[in-house]
Amino acid sequence: MRYLSGLHTIRPSALRLLDMAYLVVLLPLLIMLKIPMLLFVLLVFVLLIFQKSPAKSLHLVLLFLFGMIAIYLSLYGAFSFKGLSRLKLFIELLIYVLLVVVALQRVTQRINFYLLISPILLLALSLFFYHSMFMLLYVILEIFFLLWMILAHRMQSDLRESFRSSMLMFMYSLPWVVVLFIFFPRISFEHATYGFKGETQKRMGHDGIMYLDTKAQLVPSERIVMEIGFDTHLPPSNTLYFRGSILYLDKNDHWEPLPQTTQRKKPAPIKTQDEALGYKVTLYPTQKRWLYMLDMPASPIANAMLDADLITTVKEAVKEPLHYSARSFVQSSYFEMPDTMTLGAATSFSRDQNPKSYRAAQRIKEDFTDPKERLSAILTLLKSQQLTYTLKPDLLDINHSTDSFIFDKKQGYCVHFASSFVTLARMVDIPARVVTGYKADLANSLNLYLSIKERDAHAWAEVYLDGHWVRVETTSTAANIDAQTQTALAKQNKNKLLNTLNLYLLYAKYQTETWILHYSNLRQLQLLDYAKSNPRFVIIFISSLLMMVLITAAIIAYISRPRFSSEQLAVLQPLLAYLQKKGHLRQNTETLHQYLLRYNDEHQKQSEHNRLLLQVGAVYEKLTYANNKEDTDIKHLKALVRRFISLEND
Amino acid sequence: MNYTLLSEFTPLIDAVEAHLMGKRETIALSLATFFAGGHLLLEDIPGVGKTTLAKHLCAVLGLEFGRVQFTSDMLPSDILGINYYNQKEGNFVFKKGPIFTSFLLGDEINRSMPKTQSALLQAMEEGTVTIDTTHYPLPQPFFVIGTQNPHEEVGTFELPSSQLDRFMCSLSIGYPDNAAEREILKGKTAHGLSRASVVLTPSQVQVYLTQASGVTLSDTLLDFLQDTISFTRKSGMFEYGLSTRGALALTAMIKSWAMLQGRSYATADDVQMVTAAVCAHRLRFKEGATTAARIHHEIFTHIHSDT
Repeated sequence: MRYLSGLHTIRPSALRLLDMAYLVVLLPLLIMLKIPMLLFVLLVFVLLIFQKSPAKSLHLVLLFLFGMIAIYLSLYGAFSFKGLSRLKLFIELLIYVLLVVVALQRVTQRINFYLLISPILLLALSLFFYHSMFMLLYVILEIFFLLWMILAHRMQSDLRESFRSSMLMFMYSLPWVVVLFIFFPRISFEHATYGFKGETQKRMGHDGIMYLDTKAQLVPSERIVMEIGFDTHLPPSNTLYFRGSILYLDKNDHWEPLPQTTQRKKPAPIKTQDEALGYKVTLYPTQKRWLYMLDMPASPIANAMLDADLITTVKEAVKEPLHYSARSFVQSSYFEMPDTMTLGAATSFSRDQNPKSYRAAQRIKEDFTDPKERLSAILTLLKSQQLTYTLKPDLLDINHSTDSFIFDKKQGYCVHFASSFVTLARMVDIPARVVTGYKADLANSLNLYLSIKERDAHAWAEVYLDGHWVRVETTSTAANIDAQTQTALAKQNKNKLLNTLNLYLLYAKYQTETWILHYSNLRQLQLLDYAKSNPRFVIIFISSLLMMVLITAAIIAYISRPRFSSEQLAVLQPLLAYLQKKGHLRQNTETLHQYLLRYNDEHQKQSEHNRLLLQVGAVYEKLTYANNKEDTDIKHLKALVRRFISLEND
Repeated sequence: MNYTLLSEFTPLIDAVEAHLMGKRETIALSLATFFAGGHLLLEDIPGVGKTTLAKHLCAVLGLEFGRVQFTSDMLPSDILGINYYNQKEGNFVFKKGPIFTSFLLGDEINRSMPKTQSALLQAMEEGTVTIDTTHYPLPQPFFVIGTQNPHEEVGTFELPSSQLDRFMCSLSIGYPDNAAEREILKGKTAHGLSRASVVLTPSQVQVYLTQASGVTLSDTLLDFLQDTISFTRKSGMFEYGLSTRGALALTAMIKSWAMLQGRSYATADDVQMVTAAVCAHRLRFKEGATTAARIHHEIFTHIHSDT
């Protein structure tokens, strides 16, 4: 409050206020600006600091040219008119043009419409680039600051007065700000919506094809692929495999699924004693046709197809958030009698492609006859090779990928482990296939909520044993993990508090989406059932609602509470309120004593009233200005005020 | 503005008002200036009662009245006195000038030369007169009312602001309002300097002077007072702000005014009441005319007391 009182004397001009607003909204954007544009912004800043008078037209032309050059250089190589259909490029161009236009207007020192509206536009545009918790807090700050600046301008008063008013207004609107942020659609340049194309960047994620030759380092992306709410309980960590694709065909540098045209038998229902686990999934736009289900799917999802490999697809790529409920048996194998086509594909391998591996496999084949023993021999072989798990492996010799991985480079990530394992398994006559999808991380779960991020993308294998397809976690054969990868993967855990906060925010958003946006009859019944069996829930629900109302009311009351500089002023309030109600308004040039005396002048009806008011004024003045105050005085004043009001009311 | 004077002072004011109708506030402020230990500058056109005010104020205060009509050929010695050679005694004898009185009316002080003006003003400030090397103390209390005519410029020497600063207050009397003027026209005004019905005794004067200087200034009041003072310095409206002497004069006037109201503590009302009178001859607006009313308006529309 001490700093606030300093604001009391500051009365910036409209241009100063605008400058302050621009500084605040430009701050996050400066981080994303390209160097030429950054230089342009700096130039404008320098110009504004040293050039006090309005710019001449020559300066404007020069600045315009410089701005155009800056835009051109910033977008050099990236820009084409066709490229404008990419959201990121479009937004960037929009920001650059806006900055140039604003700069041109600002140096003329004349305020016009778009100079006033642009801080808001820039704020909105910056939301495209940042979705973090920090940004949420910063946006809240920005909105408050802009409100303050607008009020400071409109009220024509000092900054302190406008600060108080804007704080009050802001407190009223704060809940809406947060709600709006939570409901703000997820814009991602990778999977852009609104008719724009996404960015093409090699990121982690599930794709129909598994490449072994990625040169780029895999970036653990925090983008959320889907959010899951389990109906009854969260399955254990080692069962959270979500299948995406089953890949059979080894194409040297990549693995492919069986072609669509292949005639395959319909999936047989899984027979099991276990009860299926129900869960509801919100799948965010992936631009792909897969829906992901927990191993092993129990029944097809409505309006989706479940194929012979228990893979679920929809007819058209998922372009907006999709909600589905699914049921799965939480187990690592399922019974199936595959058709010959599938078995054929799951056993084919090329002897010449990986001769070293083939020789090793032949040895295993000779040593063991039991498929299970052969399998564990393969795993032992992989383990003995001291393979390193890394997100940035050296490029494998792609024509002999398995040999290259196991015996030469000895480093790779899940796809290399899965691919090599499947090749080896096939070499010892065990049908095997690669499965890609997501392996969820329990760190991203809260109660029954689980979020799956792109970084959770994974590949593993399934082998056919005793009439069952059995899941094998191939990456577990890695002997060590390289330091860089460790840090990349651990990044998430660095800021634990923030992560937890983020998780809670996601959880809250998920819950609101589930219980408000997609609230259905089914949910209603579910909630009712839950409430019936859980009276504590009802109490907690109602009391937390009450709590929220109370807290909001308390904050509003705290901010809008009248502040009295002294006790006697507070005691006088009923009287002042009464006089005001009677239409006797205090002029701002009047002292309180004069205000009371003026009432006497204007309402000379009964000497008793006037005398009382005089007394009130005198006691009040004594309390305020005299140094020898007595405790009885304040009581006296209270009594006088009460008597006056009751006398007037009679 | 609303104020209620202590009953002891009402008869004094009444007595003066009998001769100067409808000017209670001016009279009260003049009285406050006296009890604050300052001097008063009356600035107004001729014929509104400057001299009347001075004379009758002097009468009720029970002081010895002295009067000097300032002219352009006047010398300092005409006011202070002179050392003359007594041929009989064979030595220099000091003959006191008209300044050796407890109540001096300096009529039209801007008519005299700066040399003469400064002689008076030095005496006002220091309370002593120095002739050659001898100091002659002036009687206590010593109260000067200077008058000047703001509109006659030919043959006048405008007092520099440094000298104006020596006057604690400046007041202008102005025309009487309609009701008062009617009374005057009817001839209801008291005539002549009849012996005032109420006169303060010297001991009473001394008591009030002491009381005025002992009035309490609370922190609340000092906050408001300092806001007021700093407004004159920082608002940019005035050519220069209130000097420290000006601020001290303001404080003394506030105390004195509070005493007149019968209070032992000063309030924001008192500040509002006296500020214009203290500032009118000390401040000058950068733009437009400087009047007491305008000073009051500008200061107190910007500086409010919440209490």
